Amino acid sequence: MTLAVLNIDWQTLTDAVALGAIYALMAVGIGLVFGVLRLVNFAYGQLVMAGAFALALASQWGWPVWAGIVLCFAVVLVLSLAMDRLVFRPLRSHSPAVMLVATFAVAFLLQSVAVLWFGSLGKIATSLAYLNRPVTISNVDIRKITIVAVIVALACLLALTALLERTTIGLHMRAASMDFQTARILGVRANRVIAVAVLLSGALAAVVAVMLTVQTPLVTPDFALRDTIIVLAGVVLGGMNRPVSATLGGFAIGFASGLLGGALPTDKSQYLPSFLFAAVILVLLVRPRGLFARKGAVERV
Amino acid sequence: MSESLVVEGLEVRHGGVQAVRGLSFEVRPGEIVGLIGANGAGKSSTLHAIMGVAPVTGGDIRLGKLSLRGRRPEEIARAGVALVPEGRRIFAELTVEENLKLGLAARRSRGAEAGVLSRVYDLFPIVEEFRRRHAGALSGGQQQQLAIARALVAEPDVLLLDEPSLGLAPTVVDVVFEALATIRSSGLAVLLVEQRAQRTVALADRSHVLANGELRLTLGPENANDTAAMVEAYFS
Amino acid sequence: MRRLIGLQELAGPMLLVVAAALLGTVVSISTQSYFTDALVKVAIVVALYVFIGNSGVLSFGHVSFVAVGAWTAGVLSVPAAEKPAIMPSLAHVLRDRTVGNLSSLALAALVGGICALIVALPLMRLSGLAAGIATFGVLEITHNLLRYEEKIGPGLNTFSSVPETTGLRQAALGALVVIVAAYAYGRSRLGRLLRATREDPAAARAAGVSVYRQRVTAFALSGLLAGLAGGLYVHLLPVNTESVYLDLTFITLAMLVIGGATSLWGAVVGALAVSALDSYLAVAENGTSFLGWQIDLPAGTRVIVVGALMAVVLILRPSGLTGGRELRLRWPW
Repeated sequence: MTLAVLNIDWQTLTDAVALGAIYALMAVGIGLVFGVLRLVNFAYGQLVMAGAFALALASQWGWPVWAGIVLCFAVVLVLSLAMDRLVFRPLRSHSPAVMLVATFAVAFLLQSVAVLWFGSLGKIATSLAYLNRPVTISNVDIRKITIVAVIVALACLLALTALLERTTIGLHMRAASMDFQTARILGVRANRVIAVAVLLSGALAAVVAVMLTVQTPLVTPDFALRDTIIVLAGVVLGGMNRPVSATLGGFAIGFASGLLGGALPTDKSQYLPSFLFAAVILVLLVRPRGLFARKGAVERV
Repeated sequence: MSESLVVEGLEVRHGGVQAVRGLSFEVRPGEIVGLIGANGAGKSSTLHAIMGVAPVTGGDIRLGKLSLRGRRPEEIARAGVALVPEGRRIFAELTVEENLKLGLAARRSRGAEAGVLSRVYDLFPIVEEFRRRHAGALSGGQQQQLAIARALVAEPDVLLLDEPSLGLAPTVVDVVFEALATIRSSGLAVLLVEQRAQRTVALADRSHVLANGELRLTLGPENANDTAAMVEAYFS
Repeated sequence: MRRLIGLQELAGPMLLVVAAALLGTVVSISTQSYFTDALVKVAIVVALYVFIGNSGVLSFGHVSFVAVGAWTAGVLSVPAAEKPAIMPSLAHVLRDRTVGNLSSLALAALVGGICALIVALPLMRLSGLAAGIATFGVLEITHNLLRYEEKIGPGLNTFSSVPETTGLRQAALGALVVIVAAYAYGRSRLGRLLRATREDPAAARAAGVSVYRQRVTAFALSGLLAGLAGGLYVHLLPVNTESVYLDLTFITLAMLVIGGATSLWGAVVGALAVSALDSYLAVAENGTSFLGWQIDLPAGTRVIVVGALMAVVLILRPSGLTGGRELRLRWPW
């Protein structure tokens, strides 16, 4: 069974959806922190990398899968909070450019810590490898991780939406991302809102770490680095100002890169990044505020 | 029991500019105190300093016995000071009801939220009528009523208002000023920064005229028609 | 008097470069290479400063032009006899031509400048985050094309056989040329107009300054200087696509920010200070002694220290070591 157009088969299509789903989660993670801190966290990929190393270590030590996942969450959450305390908080009053460069530094710092600790060859996380096996649905082979990724991403997004729309802390976070000063004047606690955003963003990074290690079991210090760069482009492409547009941007770029990867003829496939970033630049030139940004939304950077 | 707001020898500096110099006054429960003066006289800076969003370089601000100086805005709000900011600063993308719920963030007591909301709805029926709409869809006057309502649901001791009549139609200004009188009679201490000097002097128990960051003159309601005194204080 | 102060702003950075070069002549040959490398970094960072410092707009894409310059000078400098071995798929035009050291540097600058101009024409319409991501996109595209396009270079291979003409002298002269160009631009009407847009874009626009045109000019000029620096780089050591990609982007941005992004003095101080530290740590990674202590740092410590230093400087002194100001000595008279 094949889609006649562009020579894309169902396998490619489902993989593209799964990649889009994972990127959407990363986009939300980056977007949540941007919302409250106006800070583009370049080091987000290193959170994912740290989580992936936790999984790899757990599988090397022969821990059960659930314990590995718990360790992954613990490591990523602790690291997120540390990042907020040691870097984001002292920088809060600085310009967005300074904060962006600072997170760039943190990203390199964490990456070289990983090189120092684990070596540049990396480690292998095997505990969830069985999810790579395919299931056959009406003659189409789909890897289990594809289905898991889509379901987990949807569940995370639904839970997050419920939190933001239905709870008091969610209302406070939305208000803070629209106008932090006024929210504080109304009594919204800045530190609490930021801590919750950072923790949620970290939890999403841990989820992403689990799913990416299934797809790429070899965990190296530059794990998720490329993905982060692409997701960042996607988030800006979608529109940073609202979680929804950031998520859509993340999904769109994941889906597009998955699809392009399958649709490009083999001798052109190594140029995928060029096609992708050329498309990003073109879209930015046409819609600098993002594809899905609401009209009149102010960019404060 | 409600507390008084006491400002003592307040100094505020913005960059290199001294915005407020040695300002002292008091607002007691059940009082409206007006702050009037030309643009740049230091009225808004005073409110911002009380609220913790402008740097206080000297003097003190107290709510009852509690010093507010150097505290974060959210702490000050939670201590019982509510600000209706200039330009209203409504969350346009949230519903009217969500805007009100944000106001609850600074509330010191828990529970009985329905009672608080219904009292505010009595004061501003329009807010209740449109509570499911996006706040951005309201008119300027309606937004101003929402901004005051949002400050009131926190059940503060002190209500600060920064030019609430700015840009409003005369009939709406009437609504706002009537509401302020009602709020005063409920026992709040109200500090009103205004450009409409004459109406403010007529409404407030005392009105302080500021010029160049300093207190120049204090007027009572009986001076409301003494335009000469006001003009002199403004331009001296 | 104003002129004197102005010259001081040029003399300070130049003297620092000359001093570093002279210091480089008295150390051992193996240590000398660190000095040469530092001087090439000065050229790259000052090229970055021309755009970022004067415009206040962040660019992650400048190493693209370093790469383009390195490719230009490299491809044209490899001896004709060795080209088929290193670059079998090279386009005919490039295969048959080999130029000398100076011509290769000039062409590197030219190609860098032209590429930067082409990139700037559409991209300088953007600002803020969109501009940041778009320049990053340029870096990605450049890296990707150079990596796989074997008609214009060695692709995945390393540029070997490029004559290693960038010694201490050429590196110092190159850095001085870039500094003088940056200084001349900064003092010119164009430079002052661009800085006016940095301080207050709205006011500059109201005064009739085209922010777009000023940024395009600066971007092209800084691309030209980055191209020249890339030429110096490829003549210094065997370069491949990875050596002109993320790591170089990070270290040069770090140098600029640590030194103080808004001044020429800051760019030079940052490049030399970070280079010194980085080189010392590189030596220490191979084992060394300091004040009698045997120091043997594990590999990878360098990036950690530089990253941490950058974060600390950003937190404590967001405008850099020099405060982003030009050198102003107080004269005793």
